[in-house]
Amino acid sequence: MLELFIFLYQFADAFALLTLSAAGLMIIFGMMGVINMAHGELMMIGAFGAARGFQAGLPLPLAILAGGLAATLVGLILERLVVRHFYGRLLYSLVATWGLSLILSQGALIVLGPSTQGIESNFGNFLVGDLSFSIYRIVLFGIAVGVIAGLWALFRFTTFGLQARATMSNADMAKALGIDTARIYMLTFGLGAFLAGTAGALFSLAAPVQPSFGASYTPIAFVVVVVAGSRNIIVGLTLAVVMLALVKTAVTINLNILGGYVAMLVMALLVIRFSPNGVADWLQKARSLIKKPSTGR
Amino acid sequence: MTFSLINGRIEPGSSKLFWFGFCVLLAAAVVVPHLVGRYTLLNLNSFLLMTFLAIGLAFLWGFCGILSLGQSAFLGIGGYAYGVIAINLAGVPGQTGLAFVGAIGTTVLSALLVSWIIFYGHLRGVYVSIIMLVVTLLFETFLNQTAGPQWTIGVASLGGNNGLGRFSGAIQELPSLKLGAGEAAVLMIGKSKTFFYVTLALVVGCYLALRLLVNSRIGVALAAIREDPDRTETLGYDVRLLQTFAFCIAAGLAALSGILYVSWGNFITPSVFGVTSNILPVIWVAVAGRRSLAAAVLGAAGLQWGSQALALQGEYALVIQGALLVVAVLLLPEGLISISNVVSKYLGKSSNPNLEQMPQKGRDHAA
Amino acid sequence: MLLEVNGLTKRFGGVRAVDDVSWQMDAGQVRCIIGPNGAGKSTFFQMLVGRIKPDAGTIRFRDIDITRHHPFERARLGLVVKPQTLGVFGELTVEHNIQLCLQRVWRGAELDRQVADELDRLGLRAKARFAAKALSHGEMQWLGLGMAIATAPKLMLLDEPTAGMSSDETLRTADLIKQLATAGTSILVVEHDMEFVRALAVETTVFHDGRVFESGTMAEIEQNETVRRLYLGQRAVQKSI
Repeated sequence: MLELFIFLYQFADAFALLTLSAAGLMIIFGMMGVINMAHGELMMIGAFGAARGFQAGLPLPLAILAGGLAATLVGLILERLVVRHFYGRLLYSLVATWGLSLILSQGALIVLGPSTQGIESNFGNFLVGDLSFSIYRIVLFGIAVGVIAGLWALFRFTTFGLQARATMSNADMAKALGIDTARIYMLTFGLGAFLAGTAGALFSLAAPVQPSFGASYTPIAFVVVVVAGSRNIIVGLTLAVVMLALVKTAVTINLNILGGYVAMLVMALLVIRFSPNGVADWLQKARSLIKKPSTGR
Repeated sequence: MTFSLINGRIEPGSSKLFWFGFCVLLAAAVVVPHLVGRYTLLNLNSFLLMTFLAIGLAFLWGFCGILSLGQSAFLGIGGYAYGVIAINLAGVPGQTGLAFVGAIGTTVLSALLVSWIIFYGHLRGVYVSIIMLVVTLLFETFLNQTAGPQWTIGVASLGGNNGLGRFSGAIQELPSLKLGAGEAAVLMIGKSKTFFYVTLALVVGCYLALRLLVNSRIGVALAAIREDPDRTETLGYDVRLLQTFAFCIAAGLAALSGILYVSWGNFITPSVFGVTSNILPVIWVAVAGRRSLAAAVLGAAGLQWGSQALALQGEYALVIQGALLVVAVLLLPEGLISISNVVSKYLGKSSNPNLEQMPQKGRDHAA
Repeated sequence: MLLEVNGLTKRFGGVRAVDDVSWQMDAGQVRCIIGPNGAGKSTFFQMLVGRIKPDAGTIRFRDIDITRHHPFERARLGLVVKPQTLGVFGELTVEHNIQLCLQRVWRGAELDRQVADELDRLGLRAKARFAAKALSHGEMQWLGLGMAIATAPKLMLLDEPTAGMSSDETLRTADLIKQLATAGTSILVVEHDMEFVRALAVETTVFHDGRVFESGTMAEIEQNETVRRLYLGQRAVQKSI
């Protein structure tokens, strides 16, 4: 029974890590096909923003929000200045955002210094049997679930969501219908940056805040995005995170942390090998095979 | 209308002026080691050995349309493999030669594995580029954790972030390449003229060989694959095999850089798998121009030299290079070499059609 | 039998795009496949090319089962396709486009000669060193056809070869195809343009709802009541479907 709880706890932890790391990247990728290589740096800006905000006296939730907004601001500037020129040219967008990532991370080193005091905030632990578990991890899990639910609701119920889905589906058609696709892209990028920054801010309670902050989360985010594919943001993200979290947890418990990461990578490579457009695409194909065929018309 | 292989139409630069410039540059390069001090020579050697990584990337990206953002992974695999094999063969005659061959072999094998995933898995677009980056970053994470004594391959200690062959203060020797045997043997150490000349010869050799390749029938097929792999397949070409071939060549070249790197400095750390190591060759090739092998070589050497000169001033070298990359893709996506294209058009010479880019809506022409 | 298709089926989601199609053609023939959008002829075509994998059925070409063959393997057997899009490599020179088709057979000086001959045949010698995208649309169509022919195919698959052509060019293409047929190339054309199909005047197959609906000469097809209703409308005959 205890083992089950440990597994669930670690699964929840991995789920939160993967979801929060990847959500911002996923939104941008799903909408524009752009993999924002500066994603990790946006997380770093969120972390720094939150830390500074907290030091300045803001209560924790506001400090986190401050971090998110700082990242959003930077993200929007980057989008307007650089990224939007590359929406039809995806390989160049990779290279350009990678350049931005270098500027941001090295720039942060110069401007903000090697590190800053992180947020000291103890949520405390709870005991199950002899073992103590962090409450904060549970909170993060809750937030992760909330993010997915929130994004689903956003796309399902709001005007923005509708326009966004239309643009994703067929940008030319959406434009013909009067949707300002450039604005949708900008807002989407901003949303992605906000999610990245907020995630960074949330993680800053658990990790040292330094210019290389993003570097630990970038590979994880990429792995999730690659496994998810761009076919369907919510389904892809959820499915990918669940699959990867399961593998990571199972291997980490039975082996070690390093093994968990390696297992995640191997799984990602296998998924992508056999379903080159990600899991959401594979799911769609599988459903089409199961459906009863008719002669159409 | 004969197709001269060296002077074909795919690698730009086939005029008499180009070859004259080539000879002048080569002559200058031959003379340089005698004019500079050991420290400068050490630096020049480090710039030179990186050019293989760059030329491989340019070949893969500019000529085959495959942008791999993690090419330094192969540099790392080559270097680590060389070190591991050499340590395990300590005292064996032909140690470094065997290590060299083994390292290239290991890297090519890993390239074949990656090819199976990318090309035989029908990956397209950004996935291809990202996969190598993910692999290399996870290599870095993995190797950084291997500091403990249990992490060995044979007797070689992986050493974690202290570097290959280093644990608890002890150092296993990572030997420089040894040329010749017995009394007459020469070591390719970082500060030596031997290193410079051998590497220079290799650079020239690889450049000419790749030139031959891109202008050959295979080169034309690769150029077609770059533009439209599906159409090329319907013309009877085994596209996946050709892409795998190109990928292995680029990986082999990166491994050569890795082996020379170890020979140069007698150390290697997991940072070769990291983001900086991987982004630098992309910067060199993007700024210089990926459609020209010569530009890749010169760009790699020149930008490394420039960055070092800048690094003496402070930490701005990387920021500036990052900015250079952004500016390059924004304003001059074909690299600096496209300026020469504009110039020669202005001078009335016929321009190489492979350098011209017309923006096409909806099509990704960054290949 | 040059090409034999048996029980070919392909499903997309709940729809049977191609439903248990059996069809064949002999060497030395020119055949035409027509049908409205959604009739399944494009899917059928792509399965012949090797781009789409059938869910069931077999394809035999020159007595070899090619159902599992990759597109390049089919090309090497002589099953050559000229796609609906131009099929020309815009970024490469005209010369290289042609070389691409010939270089798997020839090399060296002989290759140069063959390429030069082909350039002359297409009347593109003067533009040999131009990037192919610099050609006019009509020239590109010719180049595309030339490339398909250059490989001396056993069976040529043409996907709407007259798309975007003028009336004049359409008739010239029909002539070219008839010439090729006389010279021994077997050709299978998938088309929309009724003027072209009539000019070809060969045995035609009508696809509908993923099945072979009718086969026969153009005259017979046009007489068929149901075909007329499906395509030609109750009133006057239209130029294209």
